[in-house]
Amino acid sequence: MTNSFSRWLSCATLVAWSAILMHFYFSGRIASFLHPMFRPFVLISAGVMLLLAIGLALSFSSTDGGCDEEGCAHSFGQMTAGRIITFLILLLPICAASAVSTDGFGASTMMNRGVVTDASGLNSVSKSSVDFPMPSGDGTAPSAPAPAVASSPVVYAGTTENAANDYLPKSKSGAIIVQVPDLLYAAQDSSLRPDFQDKTIELIGQWMPDQVNNSKGSRFKLVRMLMVCCAADARPVAVLVEDGKKSKIPEMSWVSVTGRVTFPTEGGRMIAVVKADQVVVTDPPEETMLY
Amino acid sequence: MINAHFFTFSFTDFAYSFLSILFEGIPFLLLGSLLSGIVDAFIPAKVMTRFLPKNSGIAILMSGLLGAIFPMCECGSVMVVRRLIKKGLPISCATTYMLAAPIVNPVVALSTFAAFRGQSPWVMMSLRLTLGFVISVTVGFVVRQISPENLLQKKILDSLPGRRRTAFRMGTPSLDPTNLIEETGAPHFRIRLLGAARSAASDFLDVAFLLVIGAALASLFNTAVDQTRILPLASSPMLSTMSLMVLAFFLALCSTSDAFIAASLVSFPFVAKLAFLVFGAMFDLKLYFLYGLIYKRRFVIGLLIGLFVGISLICLRLSVMNL
Repeated sequence: MTNSFSRWLSCATLVAWSAILMHFYFSGRIASFLHPMFRPFVLISAGVMLLLAIGLALSFSSTDGGCDEEGCAHSFGQMTAGRIITFLILLLPICAASAVSTDGFGASTMMNRGVVTDASGLNSVSKSSVDFPMPSGDGTAPSAPAPAVASSPVVYAGTTENAANDYLPKSKSGAIIVQVPDLLYAAQDSSLRPDFQDKTIELIGQWMPDQVNNSKGSRFKLVRMLMVCCAADARPVAVLVEDGKKSKIPEMSWVSVTGRVTFPTEGGRMIAVVKADQVVVTDPPEETMLY
Repeated sequence: MINAHFFTFSFTDFAYSFLSILFEGIPFLLLGSLLSGIVDAFIPAKVMTRFLPKNSGIAILMSGLLGAIFPMCECGSVMVVRRLIKKGLPISCATTYMLAAPIVNPVVALSTFAAFRGQSPWVMMSLRLTLGFVISVTVGFVVRQISPENLLQKKILDSLPGRRRTAFRMGTPSLDPTNLIEETGAPHFRIRLLGAARSAASDFLDVAFLLVIGAALASLFNTAVDQTRILPLASSPMLSTMSLMVLAFFLALCSTSDAFIAASLVSFPFVAKLAFLVFGAMFDLKLYFLYGLIYKRRFVIGLLIGLFVGISLICLRLSVMNL
């Protein structure tokens, strides 16, 4: 392999990476990989890489030199036998991954990461900051003071039922449109609970079987991925849905659930369970991740 | 799909995680490479030493705080530091900056505070920044006692000012910006710019190669290994601290986002999360490869062990104080 070839290979690598980044950005696939804040950086990077490739090509054409000689600290410039392997490692994995990657995780990865089913497992709310209201001995509903939850879903922080009704977004059928974390927060925050308790809600997520307290097989988890920066740090969050019958929906299918919210106590903690009136398979939402 | 007791490998999930790490990391890597190229082409070596305090101890202390005005994540800082060392910045100062900048900077301070709302955010943010600074400076003082021959890769050593041989033997006007600045005085701006682009591109490809390997290994752990298996370790301060440091090493998260992951590990004690945040920003799987671009492998392994033991001991001491 000649020096000239290896130099142009550097340019080709930058151009290929730039093309891949632009493809993901302009096709919209980047939405399932990165938080919105980080997406513009991908486009900027693609442009900069292209400029660097042009600069590199110009520098090669203006001189016959290169950093191949002793003393150059660039490992790719130093390698001779390993140079081709270096460029293969730079190109092949990203090309292969781009070709085979879906825009979401499968069930095995979600299970490996541990599905979060209560707000104490979400960031910014700790066990110590939330006063878990426990039922009294006679089974009556708990009455705990409002805990000092620092980060609650602001949009749903209605103080009275009327205010909440005015504030909460609703579907055409009148069901309150919620996201999975809203119900998880409500399960632990007595000030939020009345906004949802026994109300008809509508939410969307991926269908996963529930392995705990599900002897009848009628319960499933409705899962969404909660992302901080990128998909690698996304965590699955889930709310339990009581369907009333054994479901034949394929695992990880996107489903829309309409039903009534309850907050029973299971395993010593209050959780959100949706008693489903309707479970229908649906298309994935435009943004598959929650932020 | 490969399915074992605690290992379930799905190639599509692996590819998804791998790409997301690359997409998140590439812009920062590129920024570091561009800065490195600009430093290379436009800043003469003597400038580096002119602005440093003459007292090396004070210089190391100042380097630990440089991230506050020149913030850089861990991927980018390696590239910048490699260039700064070649420009004559003392290795002790460069190492201190490299370790401190991903922690002692305003972006990380804010993200840590935001992530730990409801979990003593002031305490966590202050401890993270303080520990990051103290440990980086300590490593800087240790590095000061070691000769460059025992620290640096031969290629870096040979390119240090005063040792540099004919690093770039070029024909007509040389594009080695260092030569341009130091030998010809004031070269044409276009040539400098091309030199900067070439330097930045070379740096970027060097590090991107290692980022690809690091991202692949981190994604393998991220998607295939059952992470819920470490939950039983949360009950012991020592085991929880060490297990979260191991987790930080393999997850290889960016220091600007790792606080959100740490905050969600609610089963683990406060000090274990602190260890996760301090150790993970200073050393992880991808950094193991990146540090190897500058330092000898023996030093990199020594740094890994030193940081692991040091941070463990400090955090265990803090746990005795009921933090």
